[in-house]
Amino acid sequence: VSEYAFAPAGAGTRRHPWLVAIWPLCESLLAVLIAILAGGVILAATGHDPAVAYRELLQRTLGRPAGLQEVVVRATPLLLAGLAVLLAARAGLWNIGIDGQVLVGALAAGVVGHALDGTNRGVLWLGACGAALVAGALWALVPAMLRVRWGINEIVTTIMFNYVALSLTAWLVKGRFRDESLVTPQTPLIPRELRLATLGDTRVHVGLVVALAVWLALAFWLRQSTSGFELRAVGENPRAARHAMIPVLMVLFVALVVSGALAGLAGANDVLSTKGTFQAEWNPEYGLSAFALVFLARRNVLALVPAALFLGMLSYGADVMPRAAGVPSAFFTLFEGILLIVLAVFRWQPWNRGGQAT
Amino acid sequence: MSTEAVLVALLAAAILSATPLMLAAVGEAVSEHSGLLNLGIEGTMLIAAFVAFRIALATGSGPLGLAGGAAAGALIGVGFGFLATVGKADQVVLGLGLTLAGAGGSAFMFRETWGSEQPLLSHGLGRPLDGLLDWLPVVGPALGQQSWFVYIAWLVPLGVHLFLRHTLPGLRIRAAGDAPLGLESVGGNLVRTRIMAATIGGTCSGLAGATLVVVELGFFTPGVTAGAGFLAVALAMLGRLAPIRVAILTLGFGVLTGLDTGLQIASVDVRSEFLRMVPYVGIVLALVCFGRGVRLPRALGQPYRGITSRQ
Repeated sequence: VSEYAFAPAGAGTRRHPWLVAIWPLCESLLAVLIAILAGGVILAATGHDPAVAYRELLQRTLGRPAGLQEVVVRATPLLLAGLAVLLAARAGLWNIGIDGQVLVGALAAGVVGHALDGTNRGVLWLGACGAALVAGALWALVPAMLRVRWGINEIVTTIMFNYVALSLTAWLVKGRFRDESLVTPQTPLIPRELRLATLGDTRVHVGLVVALAVWLALAFWLRQSTSGFELRAVGENPRAARHAMIPVLMVLFVALVVSGALAGLAGANDVLSTKGTFQAEWNPEYGLSAFALVFLARRNVLALVPAALFLGMLSYGADVMPRAAGVPSAFFTLFEGILLIVLAVFRWQPWNRGGQAT
Repeated sequence: MSTEAVLVALLAAAILSATPLMLAAVGEAVSEHSGLLNLGIEGTMLIAAFVAFRIALATGSGPLGLAGGAAAGALIGVGFGFLATVGKADQVVLGLGLTLAGAGGSAFMFRETWGSEQPLLSHGLGRPLDGLLDWLPVVGPALGQQSWFVYIAWLVPLGVHLFLRHTLPGLRIRAAGDAPLGLESVGGNLVRTRIMAATIGGTCSGLAGATLVVVELGFFTPGVTAGAGFLAVALAMLGRLAPIRVAILTLGFGVLTGLDTGLQIASVDVRSEFLRMVPYVGIVLALVCFGRGVRLPRALGQPYRGITSRQ
């Protein structure tokens, strides 16, 4: 690693403490604003009315209870996937293998969930979630081992493991774990009364509670515990961390494996709630959205929840907008991409030469 | 079909499907040599593929489509280089954003232009050597039935190799990745060099996307690249950024991918999903065997901080 990486953040700059505190929030809001404007220009250029489209999006997602509930349902797995990306990112790792870890986690939850069909609800939930955690962790294990043992870049290996997971889960679900009574290749359906309970009369389910609990635990752990501090130290300055006798490689290994486990949990969330089964070739592609989510939250754990709600809104919008306003759902992928590009550039502060924002 | 005919068809398909992958991987190698890790290849390829398809469909000319795709790729490359140097953007985040925007943007434009229709390109490119190489068993006809652009494409790695090893701009690009301060201290312009490398890389990936659609498939669908851009990043790293090595590896990868179809034709009872994993597992295994302690450019992935901006 070159010496260029280790200029202290904000070196040689003087900023007011309150500005430092609210600056990331301003950046995120500005990025969203820029993405909305750019998206509006694109909509206008392709013959849509941006004002109508955006108003329709707000009304259908936030303007009615059913839409709002669906936004929260969509935000739940995104929050878990975002936590996975964030944990790795804070240790200085790029876990781009979220998609694959979600898939193996979902398949494990589907298989174990069916095997525990007939026991009671709690056992089924715990068993399926545990299986998903283990499967996701195992899927991140090889890239983590290659990284700490031989220094092989985790970006490439995690991406390759996405494609392996896509084929492997399809192969298993078409062969060994297939429910022969159904036409489509999928695991046996988990009966509705055994899936994650909904909260009150809404579509929001217990998965949200779990995701929020994991979120709070992670936030507390990163801020308050010694090991959380070690993880952040490794992410921000591995050389200094090594000199401080922090076991850098161990921290990297654990961070990537736990990140994979969290992604697996995101997969279990979908299988145990809305889907009830794992279908071959099903791929929710949370990975890149999770990156947009983490950088929209400026890598701050607490900011993940509002950012997840925003991306949940985009995710639901992509489903309703083609019929509601004639906007193709791909527009929302484009929107997330523009958002991520703008956020990537927000380390640039022309008035702060040599400094670094994140 | 005789065994030989099957082998010829498989090899020809492997060469054809490896061509866009090879172009993208060589482009990524140039970009990485200058210290820019571009994970946006996938998005660049998709946008270029859409542009190339649209132009080729409108004008009925394949070469114009290829040129349009290359131009689109070059523009995106300039943008990436500019944001990653002057904009001091994080390269990984920028690349992933580009991938999202490219996938979304090309799919969006496709739906806006054609809705649920699926237009096809009617004309392929010319095949100048068809039948001329048949005296060579298997390899001859497989090579001979390619269209003219494939031959040109496989000359690109050679050209890039000569450019990087034997010209001053090539030396500057390698210096920009290995010793950015050294480059600046002898009067080179780091920003300009990296933008140049990103532009060359973008042009190659644009050409790759255009080749995929105009030469190989003849149609465009959302997500048509199916991860080829990410594969290109892996192959470039596996080939240690040496263009010719990258090209040979890609060809091997193409043959490995063709195994799927091959064994099915030979009616060996293996599920195709299982075979589809083989190339990716192969890349990881190859990284384990040959990727240990690979010397990549020292400043790869580091945000740009030159002499002028150091405190």
